[in-house]
Amino acid sequence: MHVTYSPEGIYLGAIGLWLDPRRSQPAAWLSHAHFDHARGSHGTAIGTPDTLEIYALRAGEAAVAHTRMQPLPYGESIECNGARLTSLPAAHILGAAQLLVEHGNERLVYTGDIKLRPPLCGAITRVEPCHHLIMECTFGLPIFHFLSKEEATARIVRFARECFDEGDTPAFLGYALGRGQEIAHVLASHGIATTIHGAISRYFPWYQRAGYGFGDWRPYQRDEAAVTGDTPRAMVTVPSFRATLQASTRRIRIAYVSGWASMDNARARTGAEELIPYSDHGGFHELLDLVQQSGVTKVDAVHGFTDTFARILAQRGVDAHAPSAFGERGSDEEAAD
Amino acid sequence: MDLFAATCERLAATSSRNSKIRILADYLRPLADDDLTRAVRFFSGSPLAATDHRQLSVGHSTLREAVMQVTGWDKDIIRVCHRTVGDTGETLAALLHGFARGEDLSLAAAEEHYLALQRTRKTAHKVAHLVECFTRYRPSTLKYFIKVITRGMRIGLQEKMVVDAVASATGADTDAVRAANHRAGNLAQVALAARAGTLESISARLFHPMDFMLARPLDSLFDLGDPALWAIEDKYDGIRAQLHLQAGEIRIYTRGLEDATPSYPDLSGKLWLGLPDCILDGELMAWKDGRALHFNVLQQRLARKRPSARLITDIPVVFMAYDLLYLRDDMVLHLPLEARRAALEAITQQKGYPLLLSPRHEARSLDDVEQLFRDARDRGNEGLVLKRRGSPYEMGKRSGTWYKLKRPLATLDVVITAAEQGHGKRATVLSDYTFAVREGDRFLNVGKAYSGLTDAEIRELTRLLRALVTERFSRVLLVKPEIVLEVAFDGIQKSPRHKSGYAMRFPRIVRWRRDKTATDIDTLDRVREIYEHSLGGMKPGAAAPEE
Repeated sequence: MHVTYSPEGIYLGAIGLWLDPRRSQPAAWLSHAHFDHARGSHGTAIGTPDTLEIYALRAGEAAVAHTRMQPLPYGESIECNGARLTSLPAAHILGAAQLLVEHGNERLVYTGDIKLRPPLCGAITRVEPCHHLIMECTFGLPIFHFLSKEEATARIVRFARECFDEGDTPAFLGYALGRGQEIAHVLASHGIATTIHGAISRYFPWYQRAGYGFGDWRPYQRDEAAVTGDTPRAMVTVPSFRATLQASTRRIRIAYVSGWASMDNARARTGAEELIPYSDHGGFHELLDLVQQSGVTKVDAVHGFTDTFARILAQRGVDAHAPSAFGERGSDEEAAD
Repeated sequence: MDLFAATCERLAATSSRNSKIRILADYLRPLADDDLTRAVRFFSGSPLAATDHRQLSVGHSTLREAVMQVTGWDKDIIRVCHRTVGDTGETLAALLHGFARGEDLSLAAAEEHYLALQRTRKTAHKVAHLVECFTRYRPSTLKYFIKVITRGMRIGLQEKMVVDAVASATGADTDAVRAANHRAGNLAQVALAARAGTLESISARLFHPMDFMLARPLDSLFDLGDPALWAIEDKYDGIRAQLHLQAGEIRIYTRGLEDATPSYPDLSGKLWLGLPDCILDGELMAWKDGRALHFNVLQQRLARKRPSARLITDIPVVFMAYDLLYLRDDMVLHLPLEARRAALEAITQQKGYPLLLSPRHEARSLDDVEQLFRDARDRGNEGLVLKRRGSPYEMGKRSGTWYKLKRPLATLDVVITAAEQGHGKRATVLSDYTFAVREGDRFLNVGKAYSGLTDAEIRELTRLLRALVTERFSRVLLVKPEIVLEVAFDGIQKSPRHKSGYAMRFPRIVRWRRDKTATDIDTLDRVREIYEHSLGGMKPGAAAPEE
C-alpha cells in the first residue's frame, strides 16, 4: 500500500485514512492521546476508548463537537474503504495502540509510540507479523538503553525514601500524561503519600478505571511551603515546574524520570540530581527486536533519529527509509517522550 | 575502579560542595595506600603518576576506533551519538552496553592498563589493548576509565574538593594539606603523607604551576581605608605568568597553568645562571626602548607557539616581576609583602634585563592614588594594583589584600568649563580640562581630567577653547560651556571642592562628543543617582564598561 508522507502527516491514500495527522482531516487514526499525535478537529477519529476520551478532554469540547468518535478496543477490527483495521496493544501510555491495516494481501502496521518492555501502567505490546512497518524511533541510537519496570520502580522508591530519611522532599519530574501517573502509581503502591500537580491528576480517572490506584494523594497547593503537620509526601510534577520547585523554600531534591535521563546532560537541562532512565519508548535494542519479531522487510522510520536508525536497518538488509517530512529527531523533546 | 566509577556517579548527582567532599572522603578513607594514590590521581584526570612525563598518546580517534571494532558501529553513527551525548567517555560506554563480560576492574588493574597503553607505541596495538578492556569490564566503569584518559570527568569536581576530601579522609589539617599540595604539586603524594602524618616533610618542588593570587576589583575607594596601608604598583596589560627558575633552567606557566616556556626562547637559555632557585610571579610584556608595547603587539607573539628569530627581535618580551613565591629551597608565601619584595629586589638587581622589577609607589592620600592612577594610564598601563602591607601571598584566592583599579564605574557626558595649559610637551596647549554637569540652566563642576585625547584633538580643542575664553585666572582659562566630552571614572564621592558637591574619582576622557551640545549633557541628578548606587554596592544601570 502506498504511504504518503507530508508535513500534514502520514496518509494512506488508497483507503483515505490519516495516521496521527498534524492538522484536521476527514478521517484519522489516533495511536494515543499525546498532543503530537492527537490534535486537530477530525471528521472521524478512530482510536481506543481511552485514547478518544482523553483526546476529547485535551482538545476541548468545541474542537471535537462535530467529530464522529469511533472507538476501537484492543483486538477489535473494523472495515475501512476496503481495508480491515485492527487495534493492537502498544506499551506506551494508557490506551496506546498500534494499527494493523490489511489491504489485499498486504499487512501494514503503524506502531505509534511503542516499547517492548512491559510498562508500569497500560498494555503490553503485541508484535504482529507484517510486510510493512511504519515505526517510531525516538531513541533510535545505540546509546539508549532503559530500565525495566522493576528496576525503575526500585529506583523511584529508593530515591523517595532516601530523601525522606534526610528530611528532604523528593520531587519527580515526568510529563503530564503517562509518566506522571506511572510514578504516582508506583509511589502509592509502596505506601508513599504524594502531592500531585493538577496537569497529572487530571487523567487519574482513566487510570483508576483501568485498575491503577493512587493511594494517599492530594493536589499540589499554591502555598505548599506553608502546609504544616502533613505526612511526608513525594511530589510528582511536570518538567516545566522546575523553576517553581527551585524557588521553593523547602529542601527539595529532584528526580527526572525519562528516556532522556539516560544522558548526564539531562542534569543541566532539568536541574535534577537523580536521573532515572525509564521511558515509554523503546530503547535501541527494543526497536531492533520489534523489527525482527515482526518479520518485516520494509520499514519507514518516523519520529526521532530516523536517518540514523533507517541507515542501521538498511545495513542489516531491511528496506528502510526515513521520509524527509519526518526529519531526524523530533522538534519537541518533551512531547516525544 | 568499579567503586571509583560509582563514586563519580554519586558526585555527579549532587551539586552541594560539602556533600561532594563527604562522598569523596568516605570513598577515600578505607582505601589502601596504593589505591589512595591511584584514586586521587584518577580524580584529577591523570592516568599516570605525576612524575611520569611520558604521554599515554590515546586520543579520541583511538578510543573510537576500538569501540568501532567492538560494536561494529561506523564513524557516522558514533558521531551522531557523540553529538547527542556530548561526552566521549559517556558516549563510548553507552555504545559498549551489552558487549562487555562484566568483570570487576580494580584500580591497580586500571593503572596496569594505562601503563600498557603508554608502553605500546603503535596505534593499532593501543586499539587492540583497548578492545580487550572494552570487552571485559562493565560499561558503567569503562565510562570513567575513558574519562581518565580524556582527562575530563565532567562531574563538577574541582581539585580543591579532592584536596579537602583528602584532609577529611586522613584527619589531617585542611590548611596543612592545601599548603603541602602547593609545595609538591602532587596530591597523590600529599594524600599519603597526610595519612602518615608527615605533611611537614614534604618539600617544595619547582616546575609545576601553582595557583596565582588574584586581585579584587575595587568597587569603592573607601574600601581602602588609609591609603598608606597599601603598596601600589601599575597594573600591566600583559600576560600573567609564573617564572620557575632552578639551576639556571626556567619554565614559564600562564594563568591556565599551561607550560608556555617554548613560546619565549628569549627568556630561556643561559641567561639565568648564578641566580638562586626561585618562583616569580609577574607579567610577560612586549618591551622596547624602555617601555611596554601595546597588548596588540604582544598578541602577535602569543599567536606563535615557536616564534621566529625575526619576531623575537621585532617584539622582545620581558618578565616584569612583582612577587616571589619560592626562594632557594622553600616556599615564602607566608612572609609579609615587604620581605618577599626585598628578596625579589635582590634577585632582579642581580639579573637585570629581561627580568624587570615592577616599580612600587607610595600614596599618603586618595589624591595621591588618583595621581598614580593617571600616571599609570599615561604610561600605557591598565591602572593600579594595590597590595596590603604585611599581607601573605594567598594562592588561588581573590582576597581583599590585593585590589585592582581598572574599569570605570560609568561614563558621563560633561561640558568643559575651564582649561589649563599642560606640562612638558603639552606646555603650549590647553590639555587639562575642568568639566561640569547640568542642573537646570546652571553648570556645576564635577571633576578635572588630563588624559585620553590625541595630540591632534588637543591642538584643535586648544584653538576652539581660546575663542571661548570668558575669564583668566593665572594659568586657568574659564570658557563658555560649549564643548562636550564623555568621561569615564571609577567612583563619585561627595566633595566640597566642586560646586556640584560631588567629585569624580579617576576621571579620564573617553572621547570628544562633537555630536553633542551643552543641553545634551548629563545632569546633577544623574550624578546623585550614580553616587547613591555606588553606596549600595550596585553598579548603575547605565554604567558603560570601558572594554
